[in-house]
Amino acid sequence: MRVVGALEDNARMTTIAPDRVAETGGDTRREVDEDEDTDQVWVTVVWNDPVNLMVYVTYVLQKLFGYDREKAHALMLDVHYKGRAAVSSGSRDEMERDVTRLHAYGLWATISRG
Amino acid sequence: MNRIKRIRSGVEITLDGDVTSLLAQLVSHVDAVLEPPPAADPLETVVGLRGQAPPVPDDPAEARLLPEAYRDDDEAAAEFRRRASDDLRSTKRDAAQVVLTTIPTGGGRVVLTEGQVDAWLRTLTDVRLVLGTHLDLTDDEAADELEYLAGTDPRRPMADTYLFLGHLQESLVQVLL
Repeated sequence: MRVVGALEDNARMTTIAPDRVAETGGDTRREVDEDEDTDQVWVTVVWNDPVNLMVYVTYVLQKLFGYDREKAHALMLDVHYKGRAAVSSGSRDEMERDVTRLHAYGLWATISRG
Repeated sequence: MNRIKRIRSGVEITLDGDVTSLLAQLVSHVDAVLEPPPAADPLETVVGLRGQAPPVPDDPAEARLLPEAYRDDDEAAAEFRRRASDDLRSTKRDAAQVVLTTIPTGGGRVVLTEGQVDAWLRTLTDVRLVLGTHLDLTDDEAADELEYLAGTDPRRPMADTYLFLGHLQESLVQVLL
């Protein structure tokens, strides 16, 4: 499957941030790290796979996230043609719930830092 | 004659006996694949949560049914597997049971609620994921080529089944959308 790209670049950028803060003022580092744990945005990514039908992926995105037909269809096309799409974002717990539900529907989904 | 129709009380599915028999066997196979591995300590089964993450399944079909939730973080992936994989197996096996209990054995007609159709869709997906793994479908091109396999190709019987179940699934989704 096709991997890497913008998402992983973003993930790298967010892990650089605390060090930068640490360089400018040592005491702020702990605060930043705590913020990372609690407030950081995570995303659920659906990856293209050769088995799942396009119409089924659209159905699943409508059903699980309440997206309208157009939005679900556009996300499905991103999955199919770009190899992946971020389908939801939120706290890490929320994303783990979303990934669990997508796995129950047989979609190939993972969690990343937003 | 296989047919799917939206009616007022739900979705009416009519299937031939050879289809119901094949589908029931495939669903039973997937159900067996999803049997959880034993816990390190049998008491953990009573407690309902594992103390250690179960390993990633050796069987690639089983592994595809239970994907890793984190791509580049083995520790987070294992912790997620520890907490979530048994529940995911149960969810999938419950859906498989819905199919096995509603399928018109011997062929015939059944009217399904939307919730039951949803379980059928999820289970058809799991069956197709398992068949797709056995057919070594690693990319979209490999999947497209299945339609054009030679009649003598040894993959042909499994490919025909895979494609038929895809058509069945597509028809079922269409009536819900």
